[in-house]
Amino acid sequence: MTLSEFYSTLGESLDEVLVRLRMESRIAKYLGLFLSDPSFSELKTAFASNDAKTAFRAAHTLKGVAANLGLNKLSATSSELTEDLRPGAFTANSQALFEKVEHDYNAAVTGIKQLDG
Amino acid sequence: MDEKRPLILVVDDVAMNRALLSDVLSDKYNIIEAENGNEALLLLREKTSEISLVLLDMVMPERDGLEVLTIMNKNGWISEIPVIMISGETAHALIEGAYMLGVTDFIARPFDEMVLKNRVNNTIRLYKKQKSLSDLVLNQIYEKTRNNSMMVTMLSHIVEFRNGESGMHVLHINTITEMLLRELTHRTKKYQINRNNIGIICTASSMHDIGKITIPDEILNKPGKLTPEEFEIMKKHTVNCAQMLDAVPIGKDEPLMKYAYEICRWHHERWDGKGYPDGLKGDEIPIAAQIVSIADVYDALTSERCYKHAYTHEKALEMIHNNECGVFNPILIECLNAIADKLVSALQTFDWSKQADKDFFYIADAMMNDQRHPIYNQAFRQFIDERKKCHFFESTLNGILFEYTYTPPVMKLSSKASQKLGLPKTILIEENETNRADTSLDKASAENLEKIEKILNRHTTPKDKPFLIKQTFNIDGKSTPCNVKVLQIWTHSPNENPVLTSTYGYIDTLQ
Repeated sequence: MTLSEFYSTLGESLDEVLVRLRMESRIAKYLGLFLSDPSFSELKTAFASNDAKTAFRAAHTLKGVAANLGLNKLSATSSELTEDLRPGAFTANSQALFEKVEHDYNAAVTGIKQLDG
Repeated sequence: MDEKRPLILVVDDVAMNRALLSDVLSDKYNIIEAENGNEALLLLREKTSEISLVLLDMVMPERDGLEVLTIMNKNGWISEIPVIMISGETAHALIEGAYMLGVTDFIARPFDEMVLKNRVNNTIRLYKKQKSLSDLVLNQIYEKTRNNSMMVTMLSHIVEFRNGESGMHVLHINTITEMLLRELTHRTKKYQINRNNIGIICTASSMHDIGKITIPDEILNKPGKLTPEEFEIMKKHTVNCAQMLDAVPIGKDEPLMKYAYEICRWHHERWDGKGYPDGLKGDEIPIAAQIVSIADVYDALTSERCYKHAYTHEKALEMIHNNECGVFNPILIECLNAIADKLVSALQTFDWSKQADKDFFYIADAMMNDQRHPIYNQAFRQFIDERKKCHFFESTLNGILFEYTYTPPVMKLSSKASQKLGLPKTILIEENETNRADTSLDKASAENLEKIEKILNRHTTPKDKPFLIKQTFNIDGKSTPCNVKVLQIWTHSPNENPVLTSTYGYIDTLQ
């Protein structure tokens, strides 16, 4: 799968990211690094161990990282979760918001793994 | 690539974010990274004057971005080092908080590479310009202080020499005045003396007797007691000086002029109103004049003059207490008592070359504490700290330090070194050795000097490492085997052959 195909599959646009980051090679490199970024697993662990503060920070990080890479859906759902957790405690919505993040994260990861090269 | 590449500190807890920023910026800048607030603060402390810009994330473990900013404010770094915050944060209040804490710019994620580069460029350029301007001002102030203090010293020495005095009197008055002023400001706020004034009053104190240039030689240097007529003429040095200063067309409103006038005219007034020339009483006498007056009396008592021998420190204090040499403000007598123990050693170890530095420290201090024009110049602070540090280390070393510059060929020794080797603290080393014959050095000291010179004139090639030489010196009258560690500094200009500029040495006695 090419970069362009990857972004269309996710309903995003490569062009938008290219304007910001200039080079396809750079984008590909950071998508690769995204696989080893610990933010999502930290988020998951924080949910499992009932640690709202860490969950907030991880969601916040994920939101920024995803936005930089043009993974706007993931960034948007992470942002919703971030705001939900900002007061420092889990709410009735937290779990559902987390599942949305998980869905978008998995979609992105699956796509990245199928990239050429 | 003429200039050094600016250094950027990237602070972000996410490795990917740091990598991306380095990636974008590393073609023009050197990058160091910190992965949390604490690490960032450590790097900031260590490399304060090297870091040109901080790119700071907002949400991090171990102190977040706002906490880092708060500490940067507390340490004054924020006005030295620009910070651009990069964050996906959208909460208005937090972004506003960052601006309030002094960030230059806020870049939202996702960021555009081109915009980021330009903002970084512009910010660094702006701060560099500002810094070079403030460095320029700093250097000029330092030069000016040095020159001012040198001029005043030259002037007052001329007067002292005509008096047949060594010139030490002026330096002593300076030191005593300073110590009394410091003590006084601890005890009372009544006289409204701030740190800046202390430096100015000390400088002005050097001029207390310049009116004596109007007194004829026969009276000024008469060995015996003056006749009442002669004394009347002698007393005129106060008003004469005031007249001279009045005639100076410039600087009427300058504090230095004001204090010099007060000191010259009124340093022979007495607290009980029986002094001269105006018979002022109590605090009618300006405080600067009161202080110089008591300093003058103390130093006159403890020094030998053409008409008297020197009294001991204790005897001098006793005489001042018993009003045998005038009547003084009781609070100043208290101050004199308080500094009495430190006074003797302060006067013995007076280091002439440090005087200009001292004035500089005062001005520096005053500038940094002036709330209206805060100057938190980091280089400035480091410069001052380095000097203090050098003085301190020197005082704790067992061995002997010397430093030598090749143009002009001057060797400087610390007080301890000068004492142990029997050499003056500052020596001009003439090429022509025959000039040496008539100096007052004894044989042992002359030998020491010769041996040091031999070390200085060794033909070496540029290298950065110190080297070791074994040499015997005459220390405290004994021939002592020593290790001499020597470091030579060469010019680094890439286009010319390196030139030896200075040599630093440490003589370690082997016992």
